[in-house]
Amino acid sequence: MTERTINLRDLSILIADPSPYLRTLLQGMLRGFGAGKMIEAKDAAEVLQALGKHRIDVLLCDGALPGDGGFVLTRRIRRESGNEHRTMPILLMTSDPRETIVKEGRDAGANMVVAKPLSPGNLYDRLAWVAFNPRQYIDTEGYFGPDRRFKNVGGPDGIGRRRGDAIESVKKTGRAPAQDKIDKVFNATSNGRK
Amino acid sequence: MADKSFPEARVFSPNTRFHALARRPGGVSRSQAIAGAQARIDEMQPEFGGWLNAEINALVEVVKCLKSGASEPAWIDRALFHSNQLRDVGTTMGFELVSYVANTLSMILDRIKAGADFNLASITCHMDALALVRQESYRHLRPDQVPELLNGLHQIAESVSIVPASGQK
Repeated sequence: MTERTINLRDLSILIADPSPYLRTLLQGMLRGFGAGKMIEAKDAAEVLQALGKHRIDVLLCDGALPGDGGFVLTRRIRRESGNEHRTMPILLMTSDPRETIVKEGRDAGANMVVAKPLSPGNLYDRLAWVAFNPRQYIDTEGYFGPDRRFKNVGGPDGIGRRRGDAIESVKKTGRAPAQDKIDKVFNATSNGRK
Repeated sequence: MADKSFPEARVFSPNTRFHALARRPGGVSRSQAIAGAQARIDEMQPEFGGWLNAEINALVEVVKCLKSGASEPAWIDRALFHSNQLRDVGTTMGFELVSYVANTLSMILDRIKAGADFNLASITCHMDALALVRQESYRHLRPDQVPELLNGLHQIAESVSIVPASGQK
């Protein structure tokens, strides 16, 4: 079987995080993935400014972004009916992978929640997951965003059977153990649980 | 018959540029991407030590002001900014212990911000731990190699009275 690839070359990626060092680190990782155009934002106001100025294809946003935070910002982007970025994939990053927080991200309209600290493997897998498993969007009075009852298509490429996997260092395996909990929340709805 | 009190949901498949372009041929495979990203991370390694010291020093300055009683009201946001940076970056750069210590410090600061009793000793203990893990001989260790340090930090974190979860994510 041919190995699946993702092509980020002509895509504009908006990286929103308060930490300048982490933004640089993320830029480096994404360049390593072949991404060409990246824009940085340090807070919610800069995200909105960038969305007004540029056509952004994917937003990578910290959940605790200064301003209203990434969760409120996601909800705001999704709710604005005239917003051309309304359906743009949004990946929320959080260092708090508690189930309630992850569900909050999902309910805000995020396409995926990614655990911090990030690793190249973990980030690549989530981007590939969003790219190759596009979900239908739901537009109701109370929610706009990806269908939260998305089909369980298994783990992203490169990820083994989660529960049985040994927890090794992130550098060695390229994934953060906390991500397992997050993926379970995103997959739970496919089994009729919420 | 549809219940009129529940307006129907519109279900549609958006055609985003991301989905169209990311799946084009000529992309980067997982193994190539990880190798490429790791190479970029490695390029940043020579400067990481300097950055780590600057971040810890910035935290030390905040704590000095706290000890002298000269801290400004926004001290906690300043402390959280530096602590969160260390937490979020350490492991990615290959220094898990730095992330670990910064993570419990961020937890304590979050709790104080959310209304827990201010406990300077819980912060200074973490400063001592950061001073230890910034050393070349410690920073490459994994958390499971220093269980005593971890247990100590956990006990300190637990001692900071727990308040209902704040809006921090």
